[in-house]
Amino acid sequence: MSEFLIGYGLPAATIVAQVLLIVVPLLVAVAFLTYAERKVIAAIQLRKGPNVVGPFGLLQPFADGLKLLIKETVIPSGANRVVFLAAPILTFLLSLVAWAVIPFDYGLVLADINVGILYLFAISSLGVYGIIMAGWSSNSKYAFLGALRSAAQMVSYEVSIGFVIITVLLCVGSLNLTDIVMAQKNVWFFIPLFPMFVIFFVSALAETNRSPFDLPEGESELVAGYFVEYSSMSFALFFLGEYSAMILMSAMTSILFLGGWLPPFDIAPFNWIPGPIWFAFKIALCLFVFLWVRATLPRYRYDQLMRLGWKVFLPFSLLWVVVTAGVLMATGWIPRA
Amino acid sequence: MIQAIIFYLFAGVMVASAAMVISARNPVHSVLFLILAFFNAAGLFVLMGAEFLAMILVVVYVGAVAVLFLFVVMMLDINFAELRQGFLRYLPIGAMVGLVLLAELVLIAGAWAFSPDVSSTVTVPIPDPGTVTNTHALGRILYTDYIYAFQAAGLVLLVAMVGAIVLALRERAGVRRQNIAAQIARSRAESVQVVKVQPRQGV
Amino acid sequence: MLNLLPAVPEIVLACLAMALLMLGVFRGDAAARTVSWLALLGLGIVAILVLSVSGTRTLVLNDMFVTDAFAAFMKILVLLGSAAGIAMSLDYNQREGIARPEYAVLVLFATIGMMMMVSANDLIALYVGLELQSLSLYVVAAFRRDSLRSTEAGLKYFVLGALSSGMLLYGASLIYGFAGTTKFAVLANIMVENAEAIPLGVIFGIVFLAAGLAFKVSAAPFHMWTPDVYEGAPTPVTAFFSIAPKMAAIALFIRVLVEPFGPLVAEWRQIVIFIAILSMLLGAFAAIWQTNIKRLMAYSSIGHIGYALIGLAAGDETGIRGILIYMAIYLFMNAATFGVILCMRQQGRMVERITDLSGLARTQPMLAAALAIAMFSMAGIPPLAGFFGKLYVFLAAVSAGLYTLAVIGVLTSVVAAFYYLRIVKLMYFDEPVEAFDRPIDRPLAVVLVGSTLFTLLFFAYPGPLVTSAAAAAAALFAG
Repeated sequence: MSEFLIGYGLPAATIVAQVLLIVVPLLVAVAFLTYAERKVIAAIQLRKGPNVVGPFGLLQPFADGLKLLIKETVIPSGANRVVFLAAPILTFLLSLVAWAVIPFDYGLVLADINVGILYLFAISSLGVYGIIMAGWSSNSKYAFLGALRSAAQMVSYEVSIGFVIITVLLCVGSLNLTDIVMAQKNVWFFIPLFPMFVIFFVSALAETNRSPFDLPEGESELVAGYFVEYSSMSFALFFLGEYSAMILMSAMTSILFLGGWLPPFDIAPFNWIPGPIWFAFKIALCLFVFLWVRATLPRYRYDQLMRLGWKVFLPFSLLWVVVTAGVLMATGWIPRA
Repeated sequence: MIQAIIFYLFAGVMVASAAMVISARNPVHSVLFLILAFFNAAGLFVLMGAEFLAMILVVVYVGAVAVLFLFVVMMLDINFAELRQGFLRYLPIGAMVGLVLLAELVLIAGAWAFSPDVSSTVTVPIPDPGTVTNTHALGRILYTDYIYAFQAAGLVLLVAMVGAIVLALRERAGVRRQNIAAQIARSRAESVQVVKVQPRQGV
Repeated sequence: MLNLLPAVPEIVLACLAMALLMLGVFRGDAAARTVSWLALLGLGIVAILVLSVSGTRTLVLNDMFVTDAFAAFMKILVLLGSAAGIAMSLDYNQREGIARPEYAVLVLFATIGMMMMVSANDLIALYVGLELQSLSLYVVAAFRRDSLRSTEAGLKYFVLGALSSGMLLYGASLIYGFAGTTKFAVLANIMVENAEAIPLGVIFGIVFLAAGLAFKVSAAPFHMWTPDVYEGAPTPVTAFFSIAPKMAAIALFIRVLVEPFGPLVAEWRQIVIFIAILSMLLGAFAAIWQTNIKRLMAYSSIGHIGYALIGLAAGDETGIRGILIYMAIYLFMNAATFGVILCMRQQGRMVERITDLSGLARTQPMLAAALAIAMFSMAGIPPLAGFFGKLYVFLAAVSAGLYTLAVIGVLTSVVAAFYYLRIVKLMYFDEPVEAFDRPIDRPLAVVLVGSTLFTLLFFAYPGPLVTSAAAAAAALFAG
């Protein structure tokens, strides 16, 4: 029995502890991201933002969470109950499981798998299911329209994200996230691959249904899109899932283009700061741009969105893959494994 | 032991969800179960050490193909009672064909044999997983030994795309499209006019 | 370094098809005619390339692709068929309002698929070639997308075609499961080594493979799609279907059975004999009651495939030579017949009933003569080309000792002669109804005259075709 405990129990306990170590800070980060969003947008719009609950309104997210928790979960009578309840859970789960492969520092990763970037890509491509299921099962036309928009949008932008990932892979020669970061030791990829960086970030906005691509929610036309029928905790799960997807996308941007946990220069004051701090800082920077964009840009029209995805990003990223491969082959810089 | 448990978990869920795909009353549920089956298949691939295939299965089938399935199925207006009407009528024939195929399969499986020198003729030997990741291994044979099939498959996909567009795209007359180039090419001179308006005169 | 030289014709054709696709995309439907003419030009160039790269047997691209005299012979037939298909469609498509550049492009893609089938030397190469061809053909069948019958034809073809591809893949996987390889060359060695201990699974595999291929050549009992698709598809497409894909599919059928499974000739001969007899009977008897000329041609083509398969049943060099000659002649006869069918236009409307041909000899004697030549040739009346085709095949059957098969072949030819001659009788001895529109479109006339002259004058100078067919057949048995 004790052998069993040491053989299986201990590793299991360690893993659970590690998971908690990632998930708990993540959820706190999500809470403060909502707070930051309101504060940043308020600042841009010359308002104050939340400032009543706690010092500087810092406890506002917890108040909101508590409010959602104690409300009643309303299930519409025409809804498909199982799918209706499964959708937010799925969204939330997916946004958490992706973090398993994110490296916070050299060797500081829960699962250092060979195909890490593909795993992230796969998980983010699953995100659309939560939305589709929610839209369909709500049995409401607004929700359904939002879900359809979202499905088309996410599938479209995934294609260009895929090509961006391929260009990075060409430069790294590995799908392992740690290898990808280490390959940026000399120069972060956003410099040589700048157009891809822009495409990736814009596609990330579309992939997370963020402004200016927030058509699936489009409060002025679809009242809230796919989660119009959700309330209380089921709504909160969507909310959490969406914001942690934002953080995840920012983390992906940092890993693929901004050198992950690496300091900008490997010299004295910079490399005193530990890697995870750098990583968090870069994520925060990306998130700030997310919020900045939301406060600044008007929403795209649907045909413009599709045009941008299929007629601009797709051909351009395809071309860039060819160019990158050609340059790497011609100069012999191609990494050989 | 853990491996075995996980295998049976994945395999069991996969078989169960595959059964649900064909027995679920609601086609949307069928597709969702299909996705679950795909997902468990990916899990089995990971268990075998074929992580690249697992991820590609999820990205391509679950992330793209099944989404489009779901998309279409959700928008169909199917009358299930009508769909099931002919069931009993076609059952005898269907069952007969199924039984014949089953009998054949049993016959084949019962008398199965490998060619005695199969190990020497096998098309591509599996490289040592310790030294080569399976992404590299797949890439190496796909772009060398199988480049012909790979390119031909590309042509097949191109034809499929051209065919879909040929058969389905209709140019509607009278649709006003956005001309981005014209919009950007507009200069201030031709679009803005500064007019000095006198009080009580109007423009 | 990759040796791509033997595959140059296919590569050139693929690049050309994609370039024409771009032209079509940017220039729109107005470019349809230009694209078709350029496609014809391209097919000509590729034919020259095929002749110049063929020669000795060469395996390239990891032994998946083979070129030899057999492949060159069949590829030339395929290219001729595709060129005829495009030429016949030029004015028809324009008149029917379906002139779009994608037509020629899809035909070119189908042609690439057919050439890949002819050169396939691996089960995977076989399948991708077949799919490329089939997929293009499904689309072309439904090309007149506003017509219910055309879309129905496309859909029916697609569903049944997918089923047959499934059977073929099932068979291929059974074979792979036994041998652990998909390469024809290695498969042949394995079959020789284990000739007396072939498990049931492999036999099943061959049966499924043959069933899938029989479907593609529309041999009975896998012919169900043929009449409906022939009737529903636009007429030039039907003409194209009845010539080019048949060549490729029969070439593939021959190569698969003779090369990797040659040692098992005793096992697959029964299947081929069964299919051949059934096709001949069906082609002869089911056609009698048809009133639509396109449906009639569908059954006629089923019957012809039956005759051609007699040569495969013989399974030796003479038999294969017989098939090759038969298929070449069949191509010209069918092109001539469809050339006339495409002229069946009354006041700008296509007509398809057999009775619409009544009295054609009086209204348009030349057209009637051309159709009469084609019909006599199909019935196998000497000295027209069709007679020689049947002669070579039956001779092969007799020399292989398949007397029953030869006798059934002759008997069904007699039955089939009934409905071919009925058309001749209609044209020459019945009262004319309404005259067909004139003039005949120029490209169509070229195809019509060329193929009729070939059918008529083949007996005078059969040498080149017979010798090159013999060389092609010999190449298949040399390897």
